[in-house]
Amino acid sequence: MSKVKPSSLPPDTVIGGYRVVRKLSAGGFGVVYLGVDSEGQQFAIKEYLPSSLASRAAGELLPQVLPEKLSLYRLGLKSFFEEGRSLAQISHGSVVSVLNFFRENETVYMVMNYLEGGTLQDFIMTARDLKKSKVFRESTIRSLFDEILRGLRIVHQHKMLHLDIKPANIFITDDNRAVMIDFGAAREVLSKEGNFIRPMYTPGFAAPEMYRRDSSMGPWTDIYAIGACIYACMQGYPPNDAPQRLEKDRLSLALSRLRGIYSDSLIEVVEWCMSLDALARPQSVFALQKELSRESARRYTKLSVSERVRLQFDNVVSDTKKTVRKVSISGSRLK
Amino acid sequence: MKFSVFQLSRIGGRAMNEDRMGYCYTRESGLFVLADGMGGHPEGEVAAQIALDTISAFYQKQAEPLVVDPAQFLADAVLAAHRRIVRYASQKGMLDTPRTTLVAAVVQGASATWLHCGDSRLYLVRDGQLLLRTRDHSFLEQDRPGLSEIEPVNRNVLFTCLGSPTRPTFDIAGPIALKQGDKLMLCSDGLWGSLDDAEIVRELSTKSVSSAVPTLVDRALLVGGKHSDNVTVLAMDWESPDVFAPTRSIAADSAMDGAFAPTLQADFFNSQADDLDEAMIERSIAEINAAIRRSAAKKSSAT
Repeated sequence: MSKVKPSSLPPDTVIGGYRVVRKLSAGGFGVVYLGVDSEGQQFAIKEYLPSSLASRAAGELLPQVLPEKLSLYRLGLKSFFEEGRSLAQISHGSVVSVLNFFRENETVYMVMNYLEGGTLQDFIMTARDLKKSKVFRESTIRSLFDEILRGLRIVHQHKMLHLDIKPANIFITDDNRAVMIDFGAAREVLSKEGNFIRPMYTPGFAAPEMYRRDSSMGPWTDIYAIGACIYACMQGYPPNDAPQRLEKDRLSLALSRLRGIYSDSLIEVVEWCMSLDALARPQSVFALQKELSRESARRYTKLSVSERVRLQFDNVVSDTKKTVRKVSISGSRLK
Repeated sequence: MKFSVFQLSRIGGRAMNEDRMGYCYTRESGLFVLADGMGGHPEGEVAAQIALDTISAFYQKQAEPLVVDPAQFLADAVLAAHRRIVRYASQKGMLDTPRTTLVAAVVQGASATWLHCGDSRLYLVRDGQLLLRTRDHSFLEQDRPGLSEIEPVNRNVLFTCLGSPTRPTFDIAGPIALKQGDKLMLCSDGLWGSLDDAEIVRELSTKSVSSAVPTLVDRALLVGGKHSDNVTVLAMDWESPDVFAPTRSIAADSAMDGAFAPTLQADFFNSQADDLDEAMIERSIAEINAAIRRSAAKKSSAT
């Protein structure tokens, strides 16, 4: 599937009254530009241009859609509209806001707030390279996620799920606000019964139910991802993905290494959010907020020497087990 | 790869539905699974769910986008599922283990490979004929010589399943090349226990899966009556063996490779892509802008 990507619009192209300054990013679904209006205000403009379905020669304005891809192109357009529709209903500081939606060049454009700053993923990667015992301070994590959860609560109130919460989709602005971006996956799924969602997920942040095509998704699915994001803020790395965890769950083991560095209650919150069993997780953002904001005296339990030894031993044993199992599988015969 | 899928499960006259089904796919490969949690043992629905979860998790890990060896994959996945069920029972200190039947098929490269254990079945219908179906692991269907002669046995009893203390016996068949118009159906005994094969084949070969499946399920429920077993059917219509361009019902497209990829997804039942004509596009844009204005007005009145 390595095809030539459709070329983006060159700077100074005018679309819908906005002048393109430069391309900000491009993905499978389209291109995001920095644009300015006649008053010089900056916006992020997302152009619908799925790279696998449409092409555009350099210097051209109109994309070409292959005739056999037309119905898929339209289907994608529909979810682009849904993203716009979702975001249009929500007006909250922690959720990226859509300001305008227009049609031009035989495709559609969504105008959003232009945010200056970086994604949480950038911040985690920078912090982790400092090689300190803590990636983020606990108070930073608590206040960051308090803010995100306020936004997520509103999203859920609108009967939508984000379904792709991950550090790369959480934007930290230069004036220190946390904003959830990329609602491409947000769908009105809460109200529908027997809804089938095609598999789409980011390993590590996707709850086990995201890997199945059933209707067991709910607020708890986004809550799993929130737990995984908090985990990433503590460890500096994403957690194991759900299939790996179903096979052998090493989450508690990984979290126990953080004991003494982060409070017991924060570690417990992560474990709670990331329960493999959806019913064992907080069932609503409200329940999670309540737990996360309950900041009585933090208790830190350091690992005892014997626990440390056992941890190391566990590592050795489980690694050996893995190798042994691999060998025995490849050696087994089919009947 | 181009196919349509339809799946349906009904509880019948039972207190709970212990059947589980599901499917997932990549650009070039598809997995279809059906498990029927067994009565007479505790938590059959848990066993069925674990089987489904384990196998689909295995698939998600290994299909990139093809499963290297479908037969080996199915064998590994079913044993992993079996072990997880047994582990689940021992962790909970259960006296008896939850058990389930299983039928699973991998379709890729225009051919199908499947595995079954117990009495959940796979049917392959071609040109109005039953090309093949699985033989249940019951004494009735396998006719183990000698066994039934010594003492009368309930011939419907299964001699293998997932979750029992003995290692499951299973059969793997395929790969068999699929032809355009082939129908592949997975079902629980709730269906075949009430309807005969001829009826199932007739229905599948004369209608699209989206209308054949509901008809079959309804009829089985009717025949099953007040005490009908759970009826679960998952059927696939193989539409053509060319590059993965999905039908109207499924969008398993190539959008996986991009960063925005997760967004392009389709509601299985509701996706009528073609209804999005010019007027519709205009209307959508107008609606979105109206919503933006409403939100903005709300915001300014609030401040």
